[in-house]
Amino acid sequence: MKVRPITTIKTVVTLIEEAGAGIKLFTLADPDRWELPPFKPGAHIDLHLPNGLVRTYSLCNEPADNARYVVAVKREADGRGGSRALHDEVAIGDVIGVSLPRGGLDPGAGIARHVFIAGGIGVTPFMSMARHLSRTGDADFVLHLVVREEMPLAAHLAPLIDAGRVVVHCTSRTGRPDLAALIGEGGADTLVACCGPEGMTEAFEQAIAAWPAANVHIERFIAPPPVIDPDAKPFTLSLARSGAEIQVRAGQTMLAALQEGGVDIATSCCGGICGACKVGWIEGEPVHRDRILSPYERERYLMVCVAGSDAERLVLDL
Amino acid sequence: MLDTVSAGSAQKTAQLGWTGVVRFLHLAPRAFLPMRAAETITLVAGKGIEGDRYMIGNEEGFYSHKPEEGRQVTLFELETLVALKRDAGIELGPEEHRRNVTVEGVPLNHLVGRRFWLGETLLEATRLSVPCRHIEEITGKAIFDPLINRSGLNCKILQGGTVKVGDTVRNAA
Ligand code: FES
Repeated sequence: MKVRPITTIKTVVTLIEEAGAGIKLFTLADPDRWELPPFKPGAHIDLHLPNGLVRTYSLCNEPADNARYVVAVKREADGRGGSRALHDEVAIGDVIGVSLPRGGLDPGAGIARHVFIAGGIGVTPFMSMARHLSRTGDADFVLHLVVREEMPLAAHLAPLIDAGRVVVHCTSRTGRPDLAALIGEGGADTLVACCGPEGMTEAFEQAIAAWPAANVHIERFIAPPPVIDPDAKPFTLSLARSGAEIQVRAGQTMLAALQEGGVDIATSCCGGICGACKVGWIEGEPVHRDRILSPYERERYLMVCVAGSDAERLVLDL
Repeated sequence: MLDTVSAGSAQKTAQLGWTGVVRFLHLAPRAFLPMRAAETITLVAGKGIEGDRYMIGNEEGFYSHKPEEGRQVTLFELETLVALKRDAGIELGPEEHRRNVTVEGVPLNHLVGRRFWLGETLLEATRLSVPCRHIEEITGKAIFDPLINRSGLNCKILQGGTVKVGDTVRNAA
């Protein structure tokens, strides 16, 4: 059996809870309940689902709760399949690989007051922040939750509602709230953040148009993939020996694309200094970026962990 | 010239009994997981550290596809952590460099190919570790470059046993 390099954190599903409004909460933990890699409040992770889909979800637990990742997933019958797979196929005890957590708010960013605006299931990143802020008392916050009718995660939000930290706006009864009024006057020590459906995000963007970017945070439902190089373009790898063609997405490393394509490459540093991932190239315009190959070697080899391509096609000796 | 001098002094350091001390012990059972501090760890000859991700037969480190005989236990110099703080202003904790044993007073870079005692265990240094790009993702600190050439030492375990914080590290001649 060919063993693949491990590129995800191994977790098991330890709990699945119904949380109302078509939402299930999934708790993921290390098989031995070891601590998981740390995260910032409001961070998100990619779930590598058993059916091969990769989906991003916000964590709704707080950083101090460090031995589990909790995600809330709303079943979208017409979605792209990730939430259906989770709701219908995933069971307690299943193994799910997850990425390192990304994003979230820097708790120590000199902010004294937070105003969070959430639409429906968009409340999840703010649950993480709200729990963190209420426990640490680091900064003041209010969370405005806009829902049509039914409240998501009602049982989990109840303590925060009772404490007056969460204000629920029910649009079926009171119509859409005026976001500008909810946000109020800003100041250098105020941070406003929004996570909700597209229409709400647009209204929010209008309401905060005059705010400095540093005091505004928008969390999209579909988190953009991490961008390594903003000028990066996709390209195609042709493998001369196997005849395979592999697409490298913009910003993806050749190494990751090859691994996704089932090509086993030895690696060690993944940063272009050790020489482990050296591969011959035959045709194209590689961009090297390593710190190990001599100019002479670069005419024939490249390091797939860091190299890119200036041309649309690059032929490798694989 | 510089090369001969440093090679000569390296040999001297390695031969003229230096002694060092075990300052911290850390392990993690799987890739990416935070390292946990331990007061003692158990080294198994020819295999690795009990409960650690690089234990042979239990490879869940990042390079699971390449079990490596020479990386049964990894060491790191406490002096590097001090230097990182002094020279680069980077505060890196002994649980963050992802090597198992943090030692003080041990010239790791001079030990490749040599044998030495770590407490009651006998190790053979196989090669210098290279930093891993993923350590920046895991720690959120820009430490890949500053760690080049001082990222620790990979070793094979010739004679197993228990290693404790405070144990002596010495040359095995
Ligand atoms: S893995 Fe080290 S150079 Fe690519």
